[in-house]
Amino acid sequence: MFYFIVRRFASAILVLFAISVTVFLIFFATPGVDPAARIAGRSASPQILAQVAKEFGLNRPLPIRYLLMMEHLFIKQDLTSYVNIGDRVVPQITQAAPVTLSLVIGAAVIWLIVGVLGGVVAAANQGKFIDPFIMFIGIAAVSVPAYWLGEVMNLLTQSKFHTSIFSWVPPPGYVSFTTSPSQWFLHLLFPWLTLAALYAGIYARVLRAELVNALNEDYIRTARAKGLSERRILFRHALRCSLISIVSLFGLDFGALIGGAALLTEVVFGLPGVGLLTYTSLQNLDLPVIMGCVMYGAFFVVLANAVVDVLYAYLDPRVRLA
Amino acid sequence: MPEATIDRTPLLRVRDLKVSFATRQGVLRAVDGLSFDVGQKEIVGIVGESGSGKSVAIYSMLGLVREKNATITGSVLFEDREILGLSDKELQPIRGGSIGMIFQDPMTALTPVYTVGWQLVEQIRQHLHLTKAAARSRAIELLGQVGIPDPKSRVDRFPHEFSGGMRQRVVIAMALSCNPRLLIADEPTTALDVTTQAQILDLMVTLQDTYDSSIVIITHDMGVIAEMANRVVVMYAGRPVEIAPELELVRHPRHPYTWGLLDAVPRLNVAHERLRTIRGNAVSPLNLPPGCAFAPRCDYVMQKCAERPPLRGENDHVDACWLSDAQKVTIRRTPEHST
Amino acid sequence: MSDDVVLQATDVVKTFSSRGKKLGTRIVSRAVNGVSLEVRRGETLGIVGESGCGKSTLARCLVQLLPVTSGTVAFEGTTLTGLSRRRLRPFRRQFQLVFQDPYASLNPRRTVGDIVSEPMRINHLGSSLQIAERVRELFTTVGLDAGAINRYPHEFSGGQRQRIGIARSLSLNPTLVIADEPVSALDVSIQAQVLNLMADLQQEFNLTYVFIAHDLGVVRHVSNRVGVMYLGEFVEFGDVGSLYETPLHPYTEALLSVVPELNDTDAPRRERIIITGDVPDPADRPSGCPFHPRCPVATEFCRVEKPMLVTISPGRQVACHYPRNLAAVNATTTPA
Repeated sequence: MFYFIVRRFASAILVLFAISVTVFLIFFATPGVDPAARIAGRSASPQILAQVAKEFGLNRPLPIRYLLMMEHLFIKQDLTSYVNIGDRVVPQITQAAPVTLSLVIGAAVIWLIVGVLGGVVAAANQGKFIDPFIMFIGIAAVSVPAYWLGEVMNLLTQSKFHTSIFSWVPPPGYVSFTTSPSQWFLHLLFPWLTLAALYAGIYARVLRAELVNALNEDYIRTARAKGLSERRILFRHALRCSLISIVSLFGLDFGALIGGAALLTEVVFGLPGVGLLTYTSLQNLDLPVIMGCVMYGAFFVVLANAVVDVLYAYLDPRVRLA
Repeated sequence: MPEATIDRTPLLRVRDLKVSFATRQGVLRAVDGLSFDVGQKEIVGIVGESGSGKSVAIYSMLGLVREKNATITGSVLFEDREILGLSDKELQPIRGGSIGMIFQDPMTALTPVYTVGWQLVEQIRQHLHLTKAAARSRAIELLGQVGIPDPKSRVDRFPHEFSGGMRQRVVIAMALSCNPRLLIADEPTTALDVTTQAQILDLMVTLQDTYDSSIVIITHDMGVIAEMANRVVVMYAGRPVEIAPELELVRHPRHPYTWGLLDAVPRLNVAHERLRTIRGNAVSPLNLPPGCAFAPRCDYVMQKCAERPPLRGENDHVDACWLSDAQKVTIRRTPEHST
Repeated sequence: MSDDVVLQATDVVKTFSSRGKKLGTRIVSRAVNGVSLEVRRGETLGIVGESGCGKSTLARCLVQLLPVTSGTVAFEGTTLTGLSRRRLRPFRRQFQLVFQDPYASLNPRRTVGDIVSEPMRINHLGSSLQIAERVRELFTTVGLDAGAINRYPHEFSGGQRQRIGIARSLSLNPTLVIADEPVSALDVSIQAQVLNLMADLQQEFNLTYVFIAHDLGVVRHVSNRVGVMYLGEFVEFGDVGSLYETPLHPYTEALLSVVPELNDTDAPRRERIIITGDVPDPADRPSGCPFHPRCPVATEFCRVEKPMLVTISPGRQVACHYPRNLAAVNATTTPA
């Protein structure tokens, strides 16, 4: 197990390095594109172009440029935006990250609970009314776009019923946990629900399918022949084995969402997270910020995958050998 | 196995067991009227080819046929108590408690994510009121009994860390863990190599002696039956076609299907001879003929075979065939039939 | 049967390597460990062994589906190992493989007629009309209804599917058919039908068979000569009758003794020799004789010194320091 963890994280670091190189090459070594002009933004003056060229070592060899870039990004953390002159990139990301983390972690808790519960209840009641009922709600949740659901939520809580039943809902925006835990919670409640709806639907459906498969396995027959109760068979044997695929799914989704895929929810609810930051920097073609966001996103995707693989090995002893 | 030690008071009494599945293509009769007894300490072999319904029959007795479209009728008395139709809750103490089961494929019969010790302890604690520590030491003792070397450290290993033969030993340890009165083994050696098969069959016989259990062994292999069983039930298309003591069945088989089954086995002592075969393919359980199910493949089919033959005979050797006793003996004696 | 050699393998080794438990280590597993054999025209060479003994890997190496790690395989005098894919092509038609699982080896989305005719179409053997005619002929040959060519594999039973597999392997008029456990997935009554069919086809088309199986009864039934494999090596070779009557290697002896037999005669049963333990991991081979950890008659010498495959009497070879039944073997072969 120890070797497995070491090997897994070693390869994660390798992947991160490869990603940083690839990202760097895309931004700085695309043939026929002058990186200085790109970084400096639209209609930049010659002085600025020269400053950019100096700062990023654009006249020096590629490996040096890569190292300079990494130094700006990680060591000095003084990578600066030229579009919004003077804005430091790294602080922008570190400011946006807690918002996204709050949003995604909270939503993840909700969708895991609801998804697993829905999947288990549906699988345990195969053939009864409740099974297709839960599956229908699941497919409905999957089909509704997050921005639409978010807007509807906003419509209900912010205008139509804002004066009556939803008077306790604060206006869109973000309040940090350290400022006021209760306000943090209230501000994020509806974004959480919105983001969780899609994933809860997917997870319930996937888990049900996995459970139905697991319940047809030979080892379930063995468990039943051992005289175990149906409840124990479902939870200790079938669910335990089915969770493995849920965990791998979760790793991918969680990493991607932290990395900026929660954009739509952030935009709808006015949450200044990483998704929103990426979105605005893309609109302004703010290259240093885009690059920072991509690196940040990659970091979480790779990290989440490594954690999932370790968890996977814990859940499924067969994986440890591979 | 000397016949004298067998107490014929039935431990298990199966009467007219029928299992059918309602499918879109019609009613699939998997088991169509199976009756047999299992005496105390007796080893009964149920032999048949795939689709003969032998496994379904056994699973249906313990409520392990879970398909929603299944209909199960008949009577199964275990220790004089009707167990057919009991709820899962009522069956729990019987399953794994007084009836242990061994399955065909040891590779998939154990839950992959728990150690074998965990799985043994789980069953022991389900049926016997033991502390965790006591259950664990019982688990280690059992693993030793079924011939797993170094059981003290092996108890904490996962199923995938064992070979097929060793896993089957674990499954056997599990089946025996609560001193069952009856052991049901569904093709326990089919997935194993011949040397491992010999180990496992040997182990089962030894343990049966230690634990005084009866055994029902389901198999397609006449050789395994010869090795193990006191009495044999031959099944075809969900019906018993012949029931007899093992030696009697092998030496004086009466049903044409049993003849075919025995003659089709390639022998170690006969080389390069044409094997006798049963012509055609197994009959579909979706449309069984109204009469004898074997009639379409039988060399001796008569007009009478359009009617379903009952199990007839004497001295606990019965068969379901319309041929007269004299005909059966003469046909079997003719040269092309001597094996 | 002539002594004309169809297939000759010399010292074939096949290794597989995988990542080790510790960082940076590799595990090398020798699935086939120095196998030499000859297959003579018109004969059936049986290869018997338990799972993991390397018999299927050997089959794939013989027909060049897997590249050998070292050693050579020659077909009718031409060395095949090391030939390029294109140069190998004309030979491929001459040896065919019949697989174990009649359910997995046929493409479920193609009609059985397509499946059987595919090798002929790939090799451009005749017009589509001629090919269709040949397919019908093949179906009749293997005992299937020629009207069934437009149906799909799932519409057939296991035995019928294996007949389809056999029809496919015969479509190019091969010289050699290598059958890897062709009947082990079938019921005993169906198995007998397929074995009889294979025997008839061998007669009719003068085929040479390599027949791989774990079932000693089946191998006895079909083979002229038999090789017994253990842990990637042949431990014994012999003519089928004498090998089954008087096994030389303790492994063969034990293997034969534990085959369940019907008690249908009063002849005394062989005494059962139950060998303990499991087949070792081919990645962690024992020193000396591969069988010594489980051998009932092994000595210290067996642990140290690996026995070579030596000829004991005409047609009998064994790799053992202490062969069994030597007296009986010599008695039957020494001229009076």
